[in-house]
Amino acid sequence: MIEARGLSKVYGDKTAVGGVDFTVQAGQVTGFLGPNGAGKSTTMRMIMGLDTPTSGSVTVNGVPFTKHAAPLREVGALLDAKAVHTGRSAYNHLLAMAATHSIPKKRVSEVIEMTGLADVARKKVKGFSLGMGQRLGIAAALLGDPQTIILDEPVNGLDPEGVVWVRNLVKYLASEGRTVFLSSHLMSEMAVTADHLIVIGRGKIIADAPIKDIITGKGASRTRVRTDEPDQLMHLLAGTGVSIEAQDHELLEVKGLDPRQIARTALENHVMIYELTPLQASLEEAYMELTKDEVEYHSLITTGAPVPAQTGGK
Amino acid sequence: MSSTTLEPNPSGRRAQGGAAPQAGAPSGQAAHSAGGPVSPGPGPTFLRVLNSEFIKFRTLLSTLILLGSTMLVMVGFGALAAWSTGQFREQMASDPEAAAQMAAQGGDIAVSAPTSGIAFAQLILGSLGVLLMSSEFTTGMARSTFAAVPKRIPAFVAKFLVVVVVSFVLTGVSTLIAGLVSVPILDNYGLSLDLASSQSVKLLVVNSLYVAAVASIGMSLGSIIRNSAGGIMSLVGLFFVAPIAFQLIPGDFFEEARKYLPGNTVTPLTAVEHVDGNLEAWQAALVLGAWVVVPAVLAMVLLKKRDV
Repeated sequence: MIEARGLSKVYGDKTAVGGVDFTVQAGQVTGFLGPNGAGKSTTMRMIMGLDTPTSGSVTVNGVPFTKHAAPLREVGALLDAKAVHTGRSAYNHLLAMAATHSIPKKRVSEVIEMTGLADVARKKVKGFSLGMGQRLGIAAALLGDPQTIILDEPVNGLDPEGVVWVRNLVKYLASEGRTVFLSSHLMSEMAVTADHLIVIGRGKIIADAPIKDIITGKGASRTRVRTDEPDQLMHLLAGTGVSIEAQDHELLEVKGLDPRQIARTALENHVMIYELTPLQASLEEAYMELTKDEVEYHSLITTGAPVPAQTGGK
Repeated sequence: MSSTTLEPNPSGRRAQGGAAPQAGAPSGQAAHSAGGPVSPGPGPTFLRVLNSEFIKFRTLLSTLILLGSTMLVMVGFGALAAWSTGQFREQMASDPEAAAQMAAQGGDIAVSAPTSGIAFAQLILGSLGVLLMSSEFTTGMARSTFAAVPKRIPAFVAKFLVVVVVSFVLTGVSTLIAGLVSVPILDNYGLSLDLASSQSVKLLVVNSLYVAAVASIGMSLGSIIRNSAGGIMSLVGLFFVAPIAFQLIPGDFFEEARKYLPGNTVTPLTAVEHVDGNLEAWQAALVLGAWVVVPAVLAMVLLKKRDV
């Protein structure tokens, strides 16, 4: 379990993380979602004791990370795909890390096998692709067989097979009762991986809820209705808290009523409907809605002027 | 990319496979997740961190190349010095003026032949010291290092020990080999060099200690500056530029201050007898010691305080 209380980090006059409170529970995959520059990596570095919080605190299993007697066996982290000296081989990198905690060579070979690095383990990390670097980072995170696993953007640069592998791996780890904390700016990935979602924007927590609630919570569910008599149905359904949008010929999108109520009204008034589809907001939509005011860097699209679009960096 | 397995833990140390995730529940894992101060296993003791730093040291090809070139340079310069000493001796035999000059210098030039490559050894090993620490930060390795050893100081001290001991041993061994190579060359010119003489041993030990000190200063600089080029430039500035600059700037202050530069402590430390105006041997030892300790302490304080 990871607990952050009033955690903040200020660099000069720039607040990277502004007094956040959250709890990451064991036994589930918790996604940490936010646009670039939202404070995800800074928060994770503070959890790992690499950055000192300006104020507040964060603990892992009740104790600050730096106070654990065997930190690598307690928490494993992938903070940066290339937190490795690139002149060293993957095997020697893991061996050196393992040596600090008397982790046997057998375990080093195990994590190499597990992450599919066996063929390249003796080669210098310099030649690794981003995906292989990610796998090495995950191998390092699993080295101490830790109860808590923190992965910063683990699917960055992975091929589709690797993405599926990470997804299944984190779900498996969570099913064993471990705490899994996973950051990403890819909402689609979170939608299929995470059980719980913490959304951060400009250093503030915007949402902290089960993923289902986040999808259904924002912009109440809508229903798509196709009917022969759209005008009449619109008239019949209209009421307080109901909004109807005529999207196309014979196509309506109704907000504020559930499909059962719509069907009943139509039946009672002998209006034929030939499609009734409940629509769920995608996580993308929910996320955009949540973070629209919190994005650090908006893309500036200037018509005519040859100004390059400004996009977010890290 | 090679094939991947889904089994995160094929050893069966925990519940195996998705089908029966509860199978191993009553084992150690369950006890651990129940909370409680159960230690999950051995943590980072100093000896383990030292072992880790030694593994890191010996698994970088660039490090091994620098060590090899140090030895090569030391032995090469030792042989060259022996040869030129011999040439000088031959010249001297036919030139009474040169003979007088050599006699005035107090004689035994041959004894310093094995350590004549020291200036280069200190440059290479000092740079190695800088690189070993600065590369931690430039490559991002520091995040792995200090996540494994969050107290940070043990990792610094372990690396410091590795750098100091390796530099000392390498310089000592190189000096010895240079000596063994020099002896027959000198012998050819009728000069004798006794490697077991007290002055030979003193030169070997003092120079080895000195190079170890330079490497340690390099490592502290690398840790403080966190940048390879900046660290090496500072080191070169301290050992090669400052002594010359101090000599060129007129005034008593720089004349006096010059003696306290780390590069100028070797002469008083290896002098056969004390020269007026130079530091005493014990003073020089203290000065060099301070040059090692002060940057190291500063580096540790900053390392503990700063974000990685």
